[in-house]
Amino acid sequence: MRRGWRAHSIALVLALLGMGVFLAIVASLIQEGLPAISWRFLTGWSTSESIGPELLNTLVMVGMTLIVTIPLGLMTAIYQEEYHYNPAKKRVATLSRVRATLLSAPTIVVALVVYRIAVGWWHWPVSVLTGVLTLSVINWPFLATLSAQALRGVPDSYRQASLALGASRLQTTRGVVLPAALGFLVEGWGLAFARLAGESAALIVTAGVNVSRHWSLFGPGETLAVHIWYIRTEGVSLNRGAEAAATGVVLMALIAVVVWAFGRLSRLLGGAQPPSQEVR
Amino acid sequence: MMAPTVRCDQLSVWYGRHPALKSVSLSVQAGEVLALIGPSGCGKSTLLRAINRLLDEVAHIRIAGNVWVDDEDIYQKGVDVTTLRRRVGMVFQTPNPFPFTIFNNVAYGLRLTGKRTQSELRRVVEASLTKAALWDEVRGKLARPALSLSGGQQQRLCIARALAVEPTVLLMDEPTASLDPLSTARIEDLMGQLKGQYTIMMVTHNLRQAARVADRTAFFAKGELVEVGLTRQIFTAPSDRRTEEYLTGRYES
Repeated sequence: MRRGWRAHSIALVLALLGMGVFLAIVASLIQEGLPAISWRFLTGWSTSESIGPELLNTLVMVGMTLIVTIPLGLMTAIYQEEYHYNPAKKRVATLSRVRATLLSAPTIVVALVVYRIAVGWWHWPVSVLTGVLTLSVINWPFLATLSAQALRGVPDSYRQASLALGASRLQTTRGVVLPAALGFLVEGWGLAFARLAGESAALIVTAGVNVSRHWSLFGPGETLAVHIWYIRTEGVSLNRGAEAAATGVVLMALIAVVVWAFGRLSRLLGGAQPPSQEVR
Repeated sequence: MMAPTVRCDQLSVWYGRHPALKSVSLSVQAGEVLALIGPSGCGKSTLLRAINRLLDEVAHIRIAGNVWVDDEDIYQKGVDVTTLRRRVGMVFQTPNPFPFTIFNNVAYGLRLTGKRTQSELRRVVEASLTKAALWDEVRGKLARPALSLSGGQQQRLCIARALAVEPTVLLMDEPTASLDPLSTARIEDLMGQLKGQYTIMMVTHNLRQAARVADRTAFFAKGELVEVGLTRQIFTAPSDRRTEEYLTGRYES
């Protein structure tokens, strides 16, 4: 008998089991939801039988959040990884602690704080914009952490070579470190999209559970994930089970497509890991 | 006699409280190859990194003493580190080309200074690759990724990258440590060609290499410069007992 076959087969069985459970869930969702999906369901603007506004809200809110938080997360990571090579420094330690705390805080708690500040003090409406603010606060620590990991993955020998050629830290970061980390970063942005698109509780509080006839940044912004929750708990339609499942299928497909696209882009840009320096 | 290109006077370096270099005074003449030999951790690499101030990037470092490069006291206030590092090129122990194309690797240092026309870039890239004895192997393949080259070619590419910004001094930190004998021989040949045009300081653990390539050799132990002299003299008639022990493989630190 080949050595290690037992551990190998146990791992295989467990993996197949996990995959089987996942596929069963997805299959039942598709079976229930797929018949309800139609062009009208996807693009119609009337809330009860279509998810056009929710689809738009999801794309706009997640998109805007990424536009805001990608540079913010990157800047945080660059400050921490490229400019402070002494992590014991107080400012960096504080920054990391804030980041870790925010990252592990339940998103609903983050949302309540944002609600208090944005809606309570600044009198913003419960809207798309407030939702974007909430998602940004949720996403910033996630992207900062991912970006820091990406930068840490860039071999130090690249930095040394660049500095030795007379490049400044900024030039080194822009000219060598970021290009080398780009593949990893892009893959992370795909993951962030998936994470944000699935966010529900935080948005129930800050973006609302309905949509307005005239789309606006200051109008209510129910997303796909919130819509699923809403029609399952508050919905009155006879068909609500199928509608929720159909929305779920759409959300899953959207996430799958985006994650796949970012993954492809990442590979085009040199892969998730900076190429190793093999010496042949 | 020409003025030395690199001169250290009472140079001491500490990592935190640990002394890495103890009061080293050393001159390197223009156009010569100086080999730095000695047991691991004796401060050779630290000395190299003091000369292009790459040590500045290390946390908790303390430096005392003076270093002159081309008559400029480089640890004086107001010295432009960028200009200094362009005059003092460096080649590292493991080939470390950027994950770009061959062309962009060599052009990187030139682009840092800003505007250069494409034709000027192309001219300098070709000249640098020719000087680094790599041009014949990569001609017509400049758009290929640098990481697709072999280890020895990568190291010559790194040398070309360093030469492209027209340094006067080249620091080489065990440049052949990770290469096979054939690639090593090619790098040594190349150093023979560069000798005279550049002032070269080379750290090496390969004593034969020091004997083959270097005009003068300096022996370091425990952060001290034990002795420095003509390579032939160091290898045949060292004046210090420690040098002799090291050369005959009996040195114990």
